Amino acid sequence: MPVIDVSVSLSNVFNPKLPSCVAKLGHDELILIELQGTLDIECDEDTTRDGQFIGKLNLNDASKPTLTIGHHLLEGKVVTLPKPLGVMHRKESSKRHGYPSDGDGSRSVENTWNPGVSWGIVAVVKKKIVFSKRPMPILNLDGRSRV
Amino acid sequence: MSELDLRLSTATAQDTGSYRLLELPPELCQIIESASEKTASLFIKGHPTEDAVLCTLEKTYAVRSVVLSNTVLVVTPSRSDPGGTVHIRDQLHEILELVPVVPKLHKLSILLRDMEYDEGDEDRQATMPKYSYEQARSEIQASEAEFARGLKERRILVLEGQLRPIAPAHLSTILELLLNYLISLSLSHQAAPIEELVSLSKQVMSWFGDVKEGLWKMDVDAVIRELGVGILRHHRHNPISENEFLKKWKNVVGDTFECSVKLSLLSGDYLRNLSSIGEEATLTYFPSSALPVDPAARFVELFLTRQRWKHEEIQHFLLDIAVNSKERDKLLLKHARALTDTEGVWYTARVSYNN
Repeated sequence: MPVIDVSVSLSNVFNPKLPSCVAKLGHDELILIELQGTLDIECDEDTTRDGQFIGKLNLNDASKPTLTIGHHLLEGKVVTLPKPLGVMHRKESSKRHGYPSDGDGSRSVENTWNPGVSWGIVAVVKKKIVFSKRPMPILNLDGRSRV
Repeated sequence: MSELDLRLSTATAQDTGSYRLLELPPELCQIIESASEKTASLFIKGHPTEDAVLCTLEKTYAVRSVVLSNTVLVVTPSRSDPGGTVHIRDQLHEILELVPVVPKLHKLSILLRDMEYDEGDEDRQATMPKYSYEQARSEIQASEAEFARGLKERRILVLEGQLRPIAPAHLSTILELLLNYLISLSLSHQAAPIEELVSLSKQVMSWFGDVKEGLWKMDVDAVIRELGVGILRHHRHNPISENEFLKKWKNVVGDTFECSVKLSLLSGDYLRNLSSIGEEATLTYFPSSALPVDPAARFVELFLTRQRWKHEEIQHFLLDIAVNSKERDKLLLKHARALTDTEGVWYTARVSYNN
């Protein structure tokens, strides 16, 4: 039976709300950040990735969000999406193992289908933060605290 | 508060690959945003070998994956430190695009071959292949409303949960009987009040009108159209003269409904041929449902049948492959060449097929 039921539950999926400075993005539970290239995370095993620190996100100035990763500073902008995006999330009724852990996005919806899985639209997002410029190097890391 | 810590999810193995981005057309966005829990029913349907479609209650959309060169991070607040930390739940490199499409109901007629409901085939029942309503509903890539409409338009009965397209000749007989009943207003005293017959005629009646509170409001045009098609069906290769056809048609329909007979009811099912010598026009049966589903193939077939088409003629043969008139005109632009002369707009093939 090749049918996937897609449910819609737009509120209170992620328990805590985002801090108020993010609320200007039009959604209080989920944001989309677009980066050029990919995040390359160094680690040995999957388990060590959990909760790993990536960088600092500064959204105080809605017109100029910044992202600091290591010695690099990215400047971005908030963009309204031409068409709203629905964010679909896979829910597993029973926890299963054996999923490849690198999400390369090549698996399409139909071939990840299996009976224990359902998909739900958890948010409709209308804006995203785009970091499209080249990262700028920062020499003095302490300078960050003065911002 | 001024800065947020960006961290990977606390359960990367579980979260990775569990998000998809779906580009929402305005009308779908509205459905989703106005939906309270459980009322929005969306389904993604399709065999592993088919292109997946997303169905709402009313419409069908093709799902296409668009690869992004950028990475999109799905970021949500942290449970333990909601004020200062956000987590990257997933990193995505594709979004799913939705394009409205014509429901893929054409498959039905192929799946239901050999399952026709005809007179006196009770003995065949045991050996007949079976295809149930529920099975079809989950396998056919169409929304609920489109599926129901498809069954109705294709004259497919649901008998004991199985789908059975009705044999055209049999349907004509039933309709003629119905009309006779209506006119005479006397109930049948044939000894045939079998359950099946009741449910069968009920379904047939609902195809041709509304059944409400035990009353049947007949859709006169639909009944007359079906009877017309029934006569015309025998003239696929041997044309019938227009006058003769109309006479036969009126005869079948009976006196009461004679005035409702008009050729335009049959549009999309016939070709009208005018011979050059000023003889009367002849008609041949040319159902658009028997034409190829693929637009390119359909235009080949149309232009092989006729070298040039009037706009008002060809449009009836494109109805079932275009979502709306805008899409239809796009198809015409792509596959045909328009010529305007004193008689109006003509369409010819872009390439010549037969020389």
